[in-house]
Amino acid sequence: MDAHGRRTFLQLLAGGSLGALAASQASPVLRALAATTAPVAASAKDDFFVFVHAAGGWDVTLFADPRNEKRGLVDPATTDNTDVRDLRLWVDAPFDGDVKSFQIVQPKGCAIPFGPGIGGLVDHADRICLVNGLAMNTVSHPDGAAYASTGRHLVGGRAPASSVDTMMANELSREQLMPTISLDFPSFYVGDALDRRVVPLRIGQVGTLTRILHRPTFYQTSGDRDAIGKALADEARELAAKADDAEVFEGMALQYEGVRRMLGEKLEEALSPAALKKAYPELDGKAKLHGARALGLSFAAEAMRRNLVRCTSLAFTGFDTHASNYRQQARLQQEMFDLLAAFLQILDRTPHPTRAGEKLADRTHVLVVSDFCRTPQINLAGGRDHYPTGSAVVISPRFKGNFVFGKSDAAQLLPAAARKFQDGTRAIAPPDLLATFVSAFGANPRAYLRDGEVVPELLRA
Amino acid sequence: MSAPETKRDARARRTSPLLLLAIAAGAALLASGASSCGARPPELVAPTAAPAIAPRASIAQDSAPKEEPRLVPAEAWLRTYLQLFGGLAPLDAQARLRGADGAQIFDDWATYASAIGLPDHRFDLPRGTQTNATMLATFERLGEALCARAVEHDLQGPKGGTPPGPPPLEARVIFAFEAPSPGTKLERASFEPRFDVLHRTFLGYPASLAPTDRTGRFLSLYQDVVARHAAKDAPKSRFTPEQAGWSAVCEGLIRHPEFQLY
Repeated sequence: MDAHGRRTFLQLLAGGSLGALAASQASPVLRALAATTAPVAASAKDDFFVFVHAAGGWDVTLFADPRNEKRGLVDPATTDNTDVRDLRLWVDAPFDGDVKSFQIVQPKGCAIPFGPGIGGLVDHADRICLVNGLAMNTVSHPDGAAYASTGRHLVGGRAPASSVDTMMANELSREQLMPTISLDFPSFYVGDALDRRVVPLRIGQVGTLTRILHRPTFYQTSGDRDAIGKALADEARELAAKADDAEVFEGMALQYEGVRRMLGEKLEEALSPAALKKAYPELDGKAKLHGARALGLSFAAEAMRRNLVRCTSLAFTGFDTHASNYRQQARLQQEMFDLLAAFLQILDRTPHPTRAGEKLADRTHVLVVSDFCRTPQINLAGGRDHYPTGSAVVISPRFKGNFVFGKSDAAQLLPAAARKFQDGTRAIAPPDLLATFVSAFGANPRAYLRDGEVVPELLRA
Repeated sequence: MSAPETKRDARARRTSPLLLLAIAAGAALLASGASSCGARPPELVAPTAAPAIAPRASIAQDSAPKEEPRLVPAEAWLRTYLQLFGGLAPLDAQARLRGADGAQIFDDWATYASAIGLPDHRFDLPRGTQTNATMLATFERLGEALCARAVEHDLQGPKGGTPPGPPPLEARVIFAFEAPSPGTKLERASFEPRFDVLHRTFLGYPASLAPTDRTGRFLSLYQDVVARHAAKDAPKSRFTPEQAGWSAVCEGLIRHPEFQLY
């Protein structure tokens, strides 16, 4: 094993003390793990990933692809169909008599025109890479969610490819204590080519993890548990020394040590909902529409700060506004983007756990997607239905900021040609975005994606 | 009146003595031949030793396992766990494990399903085939729950049970041996047979055949835990020091690599 890979593995898997322990042993499992690790850009080895799914299909005309005029099929948001009371960025614009639409939100220096749903995230426009006019080619929730996260449509109702969080975990997170945690994100693990350690741990809520880590105090002490863990780690090492195939036993020895570390650092307390709310009050856990989901971002921040989880993926829900609940679609967006803006501020001030002098923001990459968007017309129930266009938000030091790519048709909101691809001039589609995302970290997109073409225009030079 | 003799009749009357003579000569010839065959001794082939095949090369028989140890499927692990817990149905076991004593020692199966590697076909998530730290942490929580409840059942006895005290050996689920009286310091000789019962229960073979000095290691663990609980400043526990020691041994075995792998 090369020294670099081995050191990385030790640092990530088990922390300093365990690293010293394992470094003293010429371990076959370490060599094997390094041998199976795909080559990635060395500079990406300390990076973190947060994937967000706006479940239900968001209305892009309210934030990413703003429309405030009646044109073609487009019925814009107006004071008639939208509850604007709590929308901070809504400024009336003339529409039809007393009925008002909104003014485009575009602060000075901002190259991206936003709608009022962008909320607090507009303050971070300089780091937003916005992709509009994504050709989703579907109006089915399960299909759209899978297409956005995997780059493939469902086949027979099943995802035929792994999701982007699994891809990145396979590239960069195999040795992490918790490779990838999925909080209701459309996470998939497909095929035999990926490392089984990166199968997403899908949990419904943050509390599930803390319950797993909870240890009662009525029976045994933490010292007892530590003694048991040490005995088992020693036992596994001795079995490894006698085994024909030592890798599995050596891996278990390191994992026993990892559990000791998890319990020793009292992660159960640190990752409990109460502790997360206290540690990150700016991620408003009492927010009216997404309060419970704010915990997912708090968890991501704390898990990254402690270097526990490489990929955290989560879902915000409630965007499927077919009826008069459409009135709060803009507020749903505003709250979600407010939370993301607060999350970015946390990353800005939090030191990176392994890179001295750097902040988490320097090494964290956020991708926000949705199933599709909503129809340009308002339906008879006062809502908007499903429409096969999409947008995506990328916030990453590796992607251009203050940049928008792709567009939709002015009159019909359908994806418009964005550039010439190898298969002709067409709109950008989720496989292109995912291929670009994966390639940004030195990984080979073809290892994960059947379709898609890297769009270098999205990336920083 | 007789019919006139034909030429054919006359020819037959002329040749019949010759035919009889030929038959007689043939019979005599056959008889002489038979008597000569019966006179020969039977032909016997004497056995001889096969010549040794000259070795052309010599290689050792390769009996090494060709497959690395594999993780027990989550379903099999769960079935074993339930069997060890007394063969209860999952929901019954869940109710017993949770108890009504506020111990917070167990939540519900759904909480642990993903972490122990059960597949989730709703999301095409396959069965976990490799351990990870989160999985082992979950096994620890589940193991602690089983062993704590087993100590309560086997070594403490049900509250208000008649007669009071631990149930007879045949009614115990895990600790099917006589526990030493409180305060007794166990040495290897007295620890070994009791540990062997647990070792056979969890790992399926005698402890003496273990490839490591397992008895010594677990005796140290037992003594360590007992000493910690017997210390003056020990935190409060529902277990006596000896019960805590046996619970720790039980946990060590249900979380043992040989319990998880096959």
